[in-house]
Amino acid sequence: MNLAVFIVIAAVLALGIILRLAITQSLQTKRSAINGAIRPVDIDAFRNLIDPAEDDYLRRCLPSSQFRTVRRERLRAMAAYVQMIANNAGVLIRVGEAALATEDGRIAGAAQQLVNDSLLLRRNATVALARIYFALAWPNSGFAAVRVAERYEQLSGAAMLLGRLQNPAAAVRLAGIR
Amino acid sequence: MLQSHSFLWHYLWIAPQTLQAALAIFLWRRGLHKLFPVFVAYLSFGAIEQTTLYALDVLPSVTADTFWRAFWIGAILEGAIKFAVIGELFFHLLRSRPAIANLGRRLISGAGATFVLLAVAAAAYTPLVHRHSQVVPIFHAHILLQSSYVVDCGLVLFLFLFAAYFRLRWSHYAFGIALGLSIVWCEHLATWALSASGAWLDKSYLFDFVNMATQHLGVLVWFYYFLIPSKKTTTSTVALPENNLAIWNRELERLLQQ
Repeated sequence: MNLAVFIVIAAVLALGIILRLAITQSLQTKRSAINGAIRPVDIDAFRNLIDPAEDDYLRRCLPSSQFRTVRRERLRAMAAYVQMIANNAGVLIRVGEAALATEDGRIAGAAQQLVNDSLLLRRNATVALARIYFALAWPNSGFAAVRVAERYEQLSGAAMLLGRLQNPAAAVRLAGIR
Repeated sequence: MLQSHSFLWHYLWIAPQTLQAALAIFLWRRGLHKLFPVFVAYLSFGAIEQTTLYALDVLPSVTADTFWRAFWIGAILEGAIKFAVIGELFFHLLRSRPAIANLGRRLISGAGATFVLLAVAAAAYTPLVHRHSQVVPIFHAHILLQSSYVVDCGLVLFLFLFAAYFRLRWSHYAFGIALGLSIVWCEHLATWALSASGAWLDKSYLFDFVNMATQHLGVLVWFYYFLIPSKKTTTSTVALPENNLAIWNRELERLLQQ
């Protein structure tokens, strides 16, 4: 009977989660939500955080225990940036998917490119986050966020192209990616 | 006849199957069977299976043993078709998103294997309430359905979580199918788990009522999504917010060159 109760609770929870996600999906098309959700990423700070030379310098200058503490702080900050990049990628997926239904082939192509690049970025950001959390447990291990940065660059290009095609008169800029 | 039933019982058993068959015919005539062949097969098989079971239930000449044998065969075949329906929904979700197709396939395979293990574990730990030889096959059938719905419910939850995490937009029809299946499968999981545990044995007919009513609701959800056209979303210019993309690109280039 205990097992049955557990399964019933799990089934109710699963249905609750699904219904909540279904409602969220239905409300997803609001354009204002798309605009408001992109958040700025401080490139200088991010660059500093993922710089291996900085880590090497800190490793040389600080005692081992202090280095681990500092390294963990840097990894936490890095995780916050990567999370922000992943969120921005998610917003751009929605922007791209909203533009996919257009009858203009060029815009649809650019939107498809943006969606694919954003999906890759979000996937890589997820992997990077996993690696950051792994590194938090072992602060002395190496870490490379190059793939995330690479994808972010490609994504920026795709977003610019879609923006230009949709609104040729205006100089297109993408919020939050700077 | 195995049991005497109320009018509501007959209605709830027959009406969803009739509607399901009607929906399958409707989808076929609209050419949607080319888009969702497995779902149309699921609808058709479900309607045939349940109508057969209904006939076996009400025919006086049919023994309980024959009924439960047919029930077993139907449950096994339906279980296989349900897996295929999940595969079809996943295909629709990923077909225009090659960037995450491989990852998606790996994840759903892993999730499927995990839920199968959980279902086997749950079946192994489900106590056999009655050991009478005539009742044991019935409890085994309940355990089989509990196991089947553990996997189905888990996989459909995984589909929704995967789509939500990657911000994927479901197509109108696929979303309706997935939503209807979720409601039916999650409820069925709960009731079959209670049945398998032997809970409320004297009022087990209540589970049948709840199951049939939920199936009815599920079919109505599918009808709604297939009959009501999807709302056209705005496809005009999506105003991308202000910021300086060029600086970000320049800094990234510098970073990659290090």
